[in-house]
Amino acid sequence: MFGKQDRLTGYDPVRFRNKIRVIIWLVFLAFFILIARFWYLQAVRGDNLRQRSENNRIRIQEIKPLRGLIMDTHGNILVDNQSSFDISIIPEAAKDIEGVMNKLAGLCDWGPNAISRESASLKSGRPFIPVRVCKNIDRDQMAVVETNSLDLPGVVVDIVPVREYIYGEMMAHILGYVGNISGPELGRAVYSDYRSDDIVGKCGIEKYLDGYFKGKSGGEQVEVDAAGRRLNVLGGVKPSPGYNVVLNVGADLQKICWDAFQEKAGTAIVMDPRTGAVMAMVSSPSFDPNLFNRGISGDRWKKLTADPLCPLQNRAVSGQYPPGSTYKLVVAAAALEEGLITENTEIFCDGTYQMGDRTFRCWKKGGHGKVNLHRAIVESCDVYFYHLGEMLGVDKLAEYAGEFGLGYKTGIALPGEKGGLIPTKEWKRKKYGEPWQKGETTSLSIGQGFVLVTPLQLLRAYCAIANGGILYKPQLIKRIETVDRQTVRDFPPEKEGFISVSRKNIDILKYALRGAVNDPHGTGGALKRPEKDVCGKTGTAQVIRMREDTSDDVVGDIQYKFRDHALFVCFAPYKDPTIAILVIVEHGGHGGSVSAPIARRIVDGYFNLEQRRKKK
Amino acid sequence: MKIDRRLFANFDWVLLGLLLLISGIGILNLYSAGYNLASGGEPFYTKQMYWVLLGLVVMVVTFSIDYHIIIRHAYLIYVVSLSLLFLVFFYGNITHGSQRWLVIYGFSFQPSELMKLAIIIALVRYFDDNMGRGYSPGNLAILLTIVGIPFFMIARQPDLGTAMFMMILFLSMVVFIGVGRRLLIYFTLGGLIFAPLCWFFLKDYQRERILTFLNPERDPLGAGYHIIQSIIAIGSGGIWGKGFLKGTQTQLRFLPEQQTDFAFSVFAEEWGFGGVCALMFMFLMLILWGLKITRYSRDLPGALTAFGVTMFVFWGIFINVGMVIGIFPVVGIPLPFFSYGGSSMIALMAGAGLLMNVSMRRFILQP
Repeated sequence: MFGKQDRLTGYDPVRFRNKIRVIIWLVFLAFFILIARFWYLQAVRGDNLRQRSENNRIRIQEIKPLRGLIMDTHGNILVDNQSSFDISIIPEAAKDIEGVMNKLAGLCDWGPNAISRESASLKSGRPFIPVRVCKNIDRDQMAVVETNSLDLPGVVVDIVPVREYIYGEMMAHILGYVGNISGPELGRAVYSDYRSDDIVGKCGIEKYLDGYFKGKSGGEQVEVDAAGRRLNVLGGVKPSPGYNVVLNVGADLQKICWDAFQEKAGTAIVMDPRTGAVMAMVSSPSFDPNLFNRGISGDRWKKLTADPLCPLQNRAVSGQYPPGSTYKLVVAAAALEEGLITENTEIFCDGTYQMGDRTFRCWKKGGHGKVNLHRAIVESCDVYFYHLGEMLGVDKLAEYAGEFGLGYKTGIALPGEKGGLIPTKEWKRKKYGEPWQKGETTSLSIGQGFVLVTPLQLLRAYCAIANGGILYKPQLIKRIETVDRQTVRDFPPEKEGFISVSRKNIDILKYALRGAVNDPHGTGGALKRPEKDVCGKTGTAQVIRMREDTSDDVVGDIQYKFRDHALFVCFAPYKDPTIAILVIVEHGGHGGSVSAPIARRIVDGYFNLEQRRKKK
Repeated sequence: MKIDRRLFANFDWVLLGLLLLISGIGILNLYSAGYNLASGGEPFYTKQMYWVLLGLVVMVVTFSIDYHIIIRHAYLIYVVSLSLLFLVFFYGNITHGSQRWLVIYGFSFQPSELMKLAIIIALVRYFDDNMGRGYSPGNLAILLTIVGIPFFMIARQPDLGTAMFMMILFLSMVVFIGVGRRLLIYFTLGGLIFAPLCWFFLKDYQRERILTFLNPERDPLGAGYHIIQSIIAIGSGGIWGKGFLKGTQTQLRFLPEQQTDFAFSVFAEEWGFGGVCALMFMFLMLILWGLKITRYSRDLPGALTAFGVTMFVFWGIFINVGMVIGIFPVVGIPLPFFSYGGSSMIALMAGAGLLMNVSMRRFILQP
């Protein structure tokens, strides 16, 4: 059946058969050439090449690039690179492992236990892989090992660059820390061109901008002796260091914030309301990122993660708090903008407010009497806002909260940011399968109940009042540049949008915030500084519902974890504000008496720095 | 789908046996290559095992569907593969300075490997449609377009090795089908004009590669080092080899790219000339078996498909082995069924499935 040409398809097997015969000969020829070459290499030159393989001491060694540095806004170095020295042993080259280890221990004054643990893995492991027997030895020990290297076959000193976080725990949450890339990380697409011995940022800026910090490896062709020591460099390619990053944060201002906090748990953020630049960001308690440099010990890690105060958490972006009275700004803006009240609308406060069968109280026993909007904000009258909340309803409130950027991630350049929670009727139905209760709106209107915000969101909302309605993206990074200071990427201010509140109403609110600090009965009196003209709002966020019989001044008697969070948000000066500050002290008690003094120290510090800078 | 019982009777056990044997030795070899590697994550040899298993599944698919149906959809497969190449161009992952990979759900995938197979069946379809009508310059233009677009897409990734590989595959098929003298002259002239022009379009590092091939000392860290170390590894294996897991070039990591391009050097070092002959014999059997299938296939598309796939394997062997023994430049063509590589393993297994497809159906007439 293969003999005849198929008329329909034009298929002619005979023609192909002849061709295939030729091709088979060509294939034989090709394989013959290859085999002949193998014969030449393996049989004819075999002995010669085997000798060369035994003397083969030329190999490629990778040179890791230096990781990019991090600078503050004034050019001060925040994160630098230092050298650390490790000792490794190549089992195959050491031969007598026990002897070499003993010699090593004798030379370096180590106790017998210092390195014995690794000897097991030295014997059982693969003969050619260096085993690290000691990490992070000091310079003197390194010198001793190097000078005695002839007596220590198979012992190699590795120079490992490590990160130095100059400001330690003060900036830990912004900068983050680095560590060896983990197995799961290696599997992820973002890390596709990373290798198992690479260092990566684990959190903070180090993680967020890891690709920029990383740099490019170089390599060297080196001649090594039988023990793996370098004898000669035959050529190579230099590594190119990673990019440097300049932050908007100022180290001096950051220090002022950190010092002002003094051991308390909480967070402080300073932002420029004109640009959204983050000038300082403190989260307390903190941790020392230098601990992670050479792999943190299990005990220390356990201690950090088990601490009930969560020192690893960056409270500024991933802490979620009820906003308390600071939320009244949003409620007031909504009521004004919806035309439900004017600045002159007066409501009588007798200290209580009835909603259904529940009685809500004003923080001031006996009430404020007749109050208008200005006084309601200045003296933080709860009853006034209970009424506004009832007029607005939960969904209208949520709409305006959204206008102020609450309930959404701000998109700041830090991993792990949270979005907060702005409740709506639909949200509650979905989450709990229950309808919204009117009393819940009442709680909501003074920033209690379900509502949660992150400190960064809240500060940005106040910045929008300070700058006349613009919502900026919080900008931590100023610039990414090369080692020779060529800009790679700039981070100009980014307007996310404008809050839909009229200029007139913004001015009313801004004036009221000024009153809250400067008027006689203002809750933020601690910040009264005539020359600086501070505007601000206190907040006291209840962790549990206020019990009927406790008043605010018995804070000391309540268990720590049930105490209120103390909030304070402010900006200054009243006319064209240049700085906005948020302070939250967890379980601190009253915003006006706990957080406001911290904010005062930051305000004073900031204006002092400004003055000094002007003089220069 | 109803499967003819005669298909089982004609199942090509020899082909399957050869493939399993070669892949098995390949996995063993990868085990040795990774033995002294401080590893993070899954070792290469287990990953390669998964790829072989997945490849066998793909093979079952490609031999179950009648190859006439596959060739009927050849242009569709071609367009899909081409779109993937375009995706690489826009979204591909860049590693070592070239953009070859597509990452889907954490899996890296190299569309250029699939393209090799797609080109073969697209050419089969075109030759089958136009057989017996003679070749006009119009035919030539279409043929060059079918090959030219993916050629440029792959060449600019840049992956000149794979692009040239496709060109060689194409020329093999053209010569096999038989071309008129006139067309042959066109091709020769075209090639003569094209080759020097190419030199200007090459990236610097590609020119460097060619110059390095001529003079290995030029590039101490890259290709030059690779060639020298590979030759030392192979030669030092001698007649009987240094033994499994005992190749010093491999275990001391003097040998670069041990898992992929230079996997065969690992084998040659540890098993010596004897091992090399044995493995090369298996490869030779595989190629001859492919040519036998070509010869006894019952129609033109069958013969062309079988021939195309056989050449796909043959050129892979010839170029890769030629590369590790220093008679070709280092171009990054894997050794079929032997080097580590998921995309290439899948494409080759799919090709082997087509070969089996033709082999199984040679006695069955189309209804």
